Amino acid sequence: MSEDLILEMKNITKTFPGVKALDNVNLDLYKGEIHALLGENGAGKSTLMKVLNGIHHQNSGEIYFKGQEVDFAGPREAQEAGLSIIHQELKLLPDLTVAENVFLGREKVNGIFVDFADLKEKTADVLEQLGVDIDPETKVRDLNIGSQQMVEIAKAISQEAEVLVMDEPTSSLTPGEAELLFDLIERLREQQISIIYISHKIEEIFKLCDRVTVLRDGAKVGEVEVANTNRDQLVRMMVGRDITERFPEIENNRSDKILEVKNLSVPGKVKDATFDVYKGEVLGIAGLMGAGRTELAKTIYGAFKPESGEIYYKGEKIEINSPKEAIDLGFYYLSEDRKEEGLVLTESVEHNISLSILDRIKNIGLIDQDREGELARKYIDDLAIKTPDEKREVKSLSGGNQQKVVIAKVLSTEPEVVILDDPTRGIDVGAKREIYNLINDFVEQGVAVILISSELPEVLNLSHRILVMHEHKIAGELDGGQATQEKIMNLATGGSIN
Amino acid sequence: MFKKKSLILSLAFLLVLTLSVNAGAFWIFGDDDGQEKEKLTVGFAVSTQNNPFFVDMKKGAEKRAEEMGVELMVADAQNDAAKQLNSIQDLLVKQIDVLVINPVNGDAIAPAVKSANDQGVPVITVDRSASDGKVVTHIASDNVKGGEMAAEYMAKQLGEEGKVVELAGIPGTSAARDRGEGFNNGIEQYDEISVIARQPAGFDRAKGMTVMENILQAHQEIDAVFAHNDSMALGAVEALKSAGRLDSTLVVGFDAIDDALTAIKDGEMNATIAQQPSLMGEMAIEKAQTIANDKDLKDYYPAKLKLITKDNVQ
Amino acid sequence: MSQQSQEQPQAGVGATLLEKIKSATQFKTGLGLLGIIVVLSLSSEYFLTVTNLFNIVTQTSINALLAFGMTFVILSGGIDLSVGSVMAVASAVTAGLLTSGMNMVIAIIGGLIAGTGLGLFNGLVISRLAMPAFIVTLAMKSIARGLTLIYTDGRPISGFNDAFQFLGGGKVGPIPVPVIILVIVLTICYIVLKKTPFGRYVYAIGGSEEAAELSGIKTKVIKTTVFAISGFMASLSGIVLASRLNSAQPTAGTGYELDAIAAVVLGGTSLTGGRGGITGTLIGALIMGVINNGLNLLNVSSFYQLVAKGTVILLAIYLDRRSKQAA
Repeated sequence: MSEDLILEMKNITKTFPGVKALDNVNLDLYKGEIHALLGENGAGKSTLMKVLNGIHHQNSGEIYFKGQEVDFAGPREAQEAGLSIIHQELKLLPDLTVAENVFLGREKVNGIFVDFADLKEKTADVLEQLGVDIDPETKVRDLNIGSQQMVEIAKAISQEAEVLVMDEPTSSLTPGEAELLFDLIERLREQQISIIYISHKIEEIFKLCDRVTVLRDGAKVGEVEVANTNRDQLVRMMVGRDITERFPEIENNRSDKILEVKNLSVPGKVKDATFDVYKGEVLGIAGLMGAGRTELAKTIYGAFKPESGEIYYKGEKIEINSPKEAIDLGFYYLSEDRKEEGLVLTESVEHNISLSILDRIKNIGLIDQDREGELARKYIDDLAIKTPDEKREVKSLSGGNQQKVVIAKVLSTEPEVVILDDPTRGIDVGAKREIYNLINDFVEQGVAVILISSELPEVLNLSHRILVMHEHKIAGELDGGQATQEKIMNLATGGSIN
Repeated sequence: MFKKKSLILSLAFLLVLTLSVNAGAFWIFGDDDGQEKEKLTVGFAVSTQNNPFFVDMKKGAEKRAEEMGVELMVADAQNDAAKQLNSIQDLLVKQIDVLVINPVNGDAIAPAVKSANDQGVPVITVDRSASDGKVVTHIASDNVKGGEMAAEYMAKQLGEEGKVVELAGIPGTSAARDRGEGFNNGIEQYDEISVIARQPAGFDRAKGMTVMENILQAHQEIDAVFAHNDSMALGAVEALKSAGRLDSTLVVGFDAIDDALTAIKDGEMNATIAQQPSLMGEMAIEKAQTIANDKDLKDYYPAKLKLITKDNVQ
Repeated sequence: MSQQSQEQPQAGVGATLLEKIKSATQFKTGLGLLGIIVVLSLSSEYFLTVTNLFNIVTQTSINALLAFGMTFVILSGGIDLSVGSVMAVASAVTAGLLTSGMNMVIAIIGGLIAGTGLGLFNGLVISRLAMPAFIVTLAMKSIARGLTLIYTDGRPISGFNDAFQFLGGGKVGPIPVPVIILVIVLTICYIVLKKTPFGRYVYAIGGSEEAAELSGIKTKVIKTTVFAISGFMASLSGIVLASRLNSAQPTAGTGYELDAIAAVVLGGTSLTGGRGGITGTLIGALIMGVINNGLNLLNVSSFYQLVAKGTVILLAIYLDRRSKQAA
């Protein structure tokens, strides 16, 4: 077996000033193996991969690649040796063709001219080898994210990569695109290419991988054969504690109707949306990316102006022209884009928490800064936000804690209708669980929760009712108890429930 | 990080220091005993150094100051009245004996003149006068006379008839006012000569060119151009040249800067009224010395003007 | 994972260290100012005199007032290139009203209304029509200059009464009036930015306009107000200038917008918005004033002065970048 070993990282330790990012980590990879690297945000996965391709250099430990000890000077050298990393953010040039991108910097030239025919032919070969149906002459801009990722993979394969590292490859793919990617990964495996697969999504690991290495706090917790483990064990290894259930039971506390939306339309964004929301329930909104979920939410919140339709709130017809008016009425919208729309990253934790209620805590025109501080500290305690103190720049917090700051801001306004748009995006299992518990708290207090999520299990397990959107329209409504992934996907892709 | 930063910061100070050493070494290394305090110290606030006229004025003053053993400190206002007030305040802090001002603007300089008056520092104005405050004497060309000289020359060359363009200086400056007045007085003597366009061009060569280009578009027939200074005249020459109308147009400037003299030699410009800025600078230093010697001065000393054409250009 | 390396080392150290780091930019700019003052004091016997120090602050007040308004705009993520021209409008209007025999208070209010109105117009166009501030204020720079020239017919308006001249040229005890105006305006700006919801909103919009909007901030109103404030400050600056010179110059303030921006940036306010403050701007303006004054005292040619000013600005920005990368 050991001659099949293509990559071996031995006792890797890496320290940054004041912190041990990697502590004596081992990782090995066989030819044709798909090896999952699992861990919470900040566990050390990316650092380990950066050590592997030479962006960082380990303080101690060795790396053997194809039997030889290596210490790459940087990604380019690693690539030339046959080791490529496909990053979460793709690094293609959108205005060049697929072929130009695949062979960027390695074009065959005749005199001073690029031999485009050669380029096209070679690219077509690589794409065919991968079983991918993409025209080499398409501009990358015109491809969807999934296809762009395949181009990136094709680029790596054309450089004769023997080891591919994929960092959260499905994070921005639709389920359909993800399926195509999984097929491609299978074909790569058949061609004896080894893959290190980094993902949060445990389902994918069971579907694809042979072995899984789990990191926690910079150290290796363990390595198991996927065949010999289960989800609970992996989660336990990742978070270092038992999570008995992934989703808490959210009690249905439904009472009065609080919001009634009738025939709401915004050109190009929302078509003819009609639905009700009740106090004390979770209304899930599912749908593919671009189906209009966020747009619908933002329209109710006053960020987009509806062209037609009516909104009734507590039985009265209302018109909301701005988020400010929505907040004053008792709404709050938590954005899917935490860094751009949820937080002011240049500000402190405290200033972010109080941002929406400064008018309520002012005293003769000036902000009551004692009250503001108290409030911030209260939420930091209540939500267990990990920050040294409330004056800390919010930018320096981890994703999960940043999201809790946004939630503190939501709570501070004491809303009656909260719209949570993908509240668990990009945060780790532990923090997700805490956010689920907060949803439960909302419901218990009789708050109406509208939950938008890209993760179907989340919508399925947390919602009492589910609206499914397709092409800016509400395609159907499902009862939480009776909904299944299949039913939702059917509606989301333009089919019907039956 | 911190150490590195303070290093860079100290480098910044060093830079300032180097500049001081470079140009103001006197204050750091010279004369701690102050023996040269006997020397007459004159502050000279010049309006701008972006215009050769005032550069010549400054050079004249510097040359004469060196000859006479006068300590001269020059402050350049970069054509900004507020900056001139500031730099005069700074000169006054240095306990100068006499203040020579070439004002950016006659009205806006008044507060500066007054603060010199308050400190008992006598003031001489050059080229442009101050509207208020006590000024010992004023040195300037007789601009009205110069404008008349230009008009006369033009009339003679045109045979007392034709269409004329006037490129005016910065509105509100006394030079623009007086030269314009003299020129128009002169032209009015001739019924057959009419001023068909009168546009300000900021005493600036580039503006002179643009304004002239526009005028050329509007008027097919132009016999002569009078510009309130040479920079504008030279700009006009460029515009005429590219329009192919230079040969048929008479160009008269004012100030006789080097470029203009060259243009006259080359036949591109026909004449200029020579102010003698260098002479004004020299006169200012001489009068400052006179004040220091407690002798009386007249209110006004005209600096000589001269018509320069191809015949007498050097 | 780079996140982790940022978090861990400082965990537990808490607010005190953080506050120190935060105030460090301003602290260092202040230190820079002090250093320049020390060097100049050693180089010129005239520098460190009471008269000269008051001179410096008086000379700085014009730019500082502009820069205070500019600070609001830049903190909100905008830029205002029109301040130099707007100050000319305000000084011309005030001068015009004064010389036509109007009461001084009315004349000043007239000037302030004219300049604030132009700022308000900037703000409305930028926020309501979603046009870039750079372009809108660049256009306004030209429009306002043109309006001034039209209003004054290109000629300075001069000769004001003593009461008006007191604003820019008078003294209360030993303290020049512009210095008093500067201190009052600084205090108000500080309180508005640090203690009121409005100030917090300005920072929030500069940090992320989308987040601010979704947090219930009326971003359009705030942005409009910010430009109106800049117009108001420019007017105030223009009126003080007219009073100092006893004359309203139609070309007054040409190029002053760049000095104001430089003072703001020197003071540590980020050009992308969201970070910085008014005290930094004061220090920035003082640095520029001190350098100008010092080089004048040292008899350095104005040509060198321009090079020195530019070099100091470059250095300051470089240091700012470095400190951001280090943090």
